[in-house]
Amino acid sequence: MARSVWKGPFVDAYVLKKAEASRESGRNEVIKIWSRRSTILPQFVGLTFGVYNGHKHVPVNVSEDMIGQKFGEYAPTRTYYGHAADKKAKRK
Amino acid sequence: MGDSIIVGRLAGAFGVRGEVRLKSFCAEPEAIADYVPLTTAEGREFRQVVITGQTSGALTARIDGITSKEEADALKNTDLLAPRDRLPALPDDEFYHADLIGLPVFDTGGAALGRVKSVLNHGAGDLLEVLPPRASATVLLPFTREAVPTVDIAAGRIVADPPEGLFPG
Repeated sequence: MARSVWKGPFVDAYVLKKAEASRESGRNEVIKIWSRRSTILPQFVGLTFGVYNGHKHVPVNVSEDMIGQKFGEYAPTRTYYGHAADKKAKRK
Repeated sequence: MGDSIIVGRLAGAFGVRGEVRLKSFCAEPEAIADYVPLTTAEGREFRQVVITGQTSGALTARIDGITSKEEADALKNTDLLAPRDRLPALPDDEFYHADLIGLPVFDTGGAALGRVKSVLNHGAGDLLEVLPPRASATVLLPFTREAVPTVDIAAGRIVADPPEGLFPG
């Protein structure tokens, strides 16, 4: 069942605090969080979060198309390497 | 950067008429046919690969020099390599994983940060997995212009300006 609209999106309070502090400081830093269940809000766009995957903090650069998703979706708990072959990486 | 890269693997026979099951490691699986001639580690060369269809977890293909089920089964689990220069050139700011893996990473002051172990993408942009010297745990570095200002494939080095707190020490 979907979450009731009247409640608004769920975000752990400490994530909001850390994000606000980071934005005010203007420093280039990774905001370490453990809350994989928190929703990505519009005010997080442009920040880099280190989302814990049970092993390490995975850097997640938040962009507009990620709003409404959960942080945990971008930090999988298992890693499949595969072969490099002709796969490409794009520097943003 | 090696001269050859692994692009696929033979996975045994498909049917009894010499077709093979072909596992492609390419981003677009059918693209493996564009990288001929494919070679094996033993030096055998396949000059023609024709993709004939798909089966569970693999492509089906007809490869020159393989004409029977027995020949196809004998080559099961054989890696197929393509020459690196068969890969098309890429625009600026795009790099093949094969070119990035193994490159040393330095910070803007010239200190060694480690070596690229792999390139990952979990949906929020590409990440370089860097193995610092004398460490067993890897560090994930966002592959952005801010965090990685210089990628010099020709010189074989990457210069990174990682965000605070990403690398230990």
